[in-house]
Amino acid sequence: MRYDVVVVGAGIAGPIIARNLAKAGYDVLMIDKKAEIGSPKRCGEGISIGVFDKYDIPYDKRFINREIYGAKLYSPSGYELELRYKKVSGVIIERKVFDKMLAFYAARAGADVWPRTEATGLIRKEGRIAGIRAKHEGEPVEIEAEIIVAADGVESMVARWAGINTYAPPHEFDSSYEYEMLIEGYDPDLIHLWFGNEVAPRGYVWVFPKDEDRANVGIGINSDNPKTAKYYLDKWLRERGIPAKKLLEINVGAVPVGGFVKELVRGNVLVVGDAARQVNPMHGGGMAEAMGAATIASRWMIKALEEENLSLLQNYTREWWEKDGRRLEKVLKARRVTEKLTDEDLDLFIQILSGADAEKIAGGDYGEVIKALLKHPKVLLSPRRIKLLKELL
Amino acid sequence: MVEKVKIVVDDDRCYLCGGCAGMCPTLAINVGPKWEFFIDKCISCKICITACPVGALKAVPLEGEP
Ligand SMILES: Cc1cc2nc3c(=O)[nH]c(=O)nc-3n(C[C@H](O)[C@H](O)[C@H](O)COP(=O)(O)OP(=O)(O)OC[C@H]3O[C@@H](n4cnc5c(N)ncnc54)[C@H](O)[C@@H]3O)c2cc1C
Ligand code: SF4
Ligand code: SF4
Repeated sequence: MRYDVVVVGAGIAGPIIARNLAKAGYDVLMIDKKAEIGSPKRCGEGISIGVFDKYDIPYDKRFINREIYGAKLYSPSGYELELRYKKVSGVIIERKVFDKMLAFYAARAGADVWPRTEATGLIRKEGRIAGIRAKHEGEPVEIEAEIIVAADGVESMVARWAGINTYAPPHEFDSSYEYEMLIEGYDPDLIHLWFGNEVAPRGYVWVFPKDEDRANVGIGINSDNPKTAKYYLDKWLRERGIPAKKLLEINVGAVPVGGFVKELVRGNVLVVGDAARQVNPMHGGGMAEAMGAATIASRWMIKALEEENLSLLQNYTREWWEKDGRRLEKVLKARRVTEKLTDEDLDLFIQILSGADAEKIAGGDYGEVIKALLKHPKVLLSPRRIKLLKELL
Repeated sequence: MVEKVKIVVDDDRCYLCGGCAGMCPTLAINVGPKWEFFIDKCISCKICITACPVGALKAVPLEGEP
């Protein structure tokens, strides 16, 4: 069979591209190896409120678990910093429903969608890539297409088969483990984040409330850590006396946090989302980045098909790097600095900030945050801390 | 020379999350409906073992095998 576009992966990036291309009138097929799109989830399900308008996604109650008004940060010795807004700042969604609805929007716009269909290789003809080989319920299928989209997540193979180098060293990934569970005692209007080199090396423990007494409770740590993410999360729960007895789900996954892919297009193959390592390397949020990259990619795919000039696809690489790549590289640099913070630094910084002008900090004025820290005597007396903060500026 | 090993999965602990496959430098692991290992591609770097969030992978020595 033949399509204009075949999209491998029906997570976040895939369905946005499939929808946009189908809307523009092109024949699109989206496949996913999962039998049920969206399940199992590999996600904390937190996303900022702005994405719904920005990427034209209906704000549908069926996938909104809870609206969130800010965040609370905890230092290793228990200092707290609360950032609370008057308006909804984010939501905790239900990925199982969300991914499926995104695929539904794509299908409604005209795309064909097949679950339980695993891409197994590329079709090559006359020196070019002519499509995807796949397996549907065990039956081999050949899908020919003008353009092939690798939206196949962290485990992506499609781009690598096509010769796009998506390798990143293990330090540029987080290993994650999460319980969706019953938990009480944490303000359900905020997300909660715990930092510390013993708590979650390089990363953090999160509580993302889905109900007053139900939350995604998870952890991300550097993937080259000799201990497992599960070890650290179970230790954290045990040390706080939080019973892990009412568990609704166990979620496991890896998150790319660095190593953004340089070459996003090769010939007629594009790579997008986790497969292209397009994730915020500070907090590991990848849904919004996947939507952004998918939007840029869609635009150039439509243009390339309209003008029957596939070399226009290269503009996706250029535009993504100008808009998002450069920004994420800066975030990555800052992340590398924060990796050097000791537990004492974290205690001190969170303690200072909880006494500083909360309004400015909540406003996200990053420069003000660093300036507030730089004014403090305990910081001024430490050349090492001054150096770290100046690097962050 | 790194000691050549074979990577084995504990199916009862593996969640098929694909993390190991994504981090393997040589595409020696594929995670579809099941976890698969291709020994001819593996360079015995053991990145996958450390990366697994639940510790479902281990290396077994190849010595003594025909
Ligand atoms: C534990 C955890 C918590 C997270 N929490 C958050 C969070 O709170 N907020 C946030 O924004 N991000 C979070 N992330 C990151 C976020 O989940 C990803 O960045 C996001 O899902 C990326 O979307 P994607 O479309 O690129 O890939 P995915 O959503 O991973 O979709 C890829 C799809 O491709 C399919 N696929 C793969 N290979 C094949 C193949 N060969 N053939 C067919 N189909 C294939 C997979 O089945 C999958 O459905 C978290 C990640 C983890 C692991
Ligand atoms: S990283 Fe671990 S849990 Fe995930 S697929 Fe590999 S072996 Fe299984
Ligand atoms: S040891 Fe290295 S090469 Fe072998 S499967 Fe694991 S990550 Fe891949």
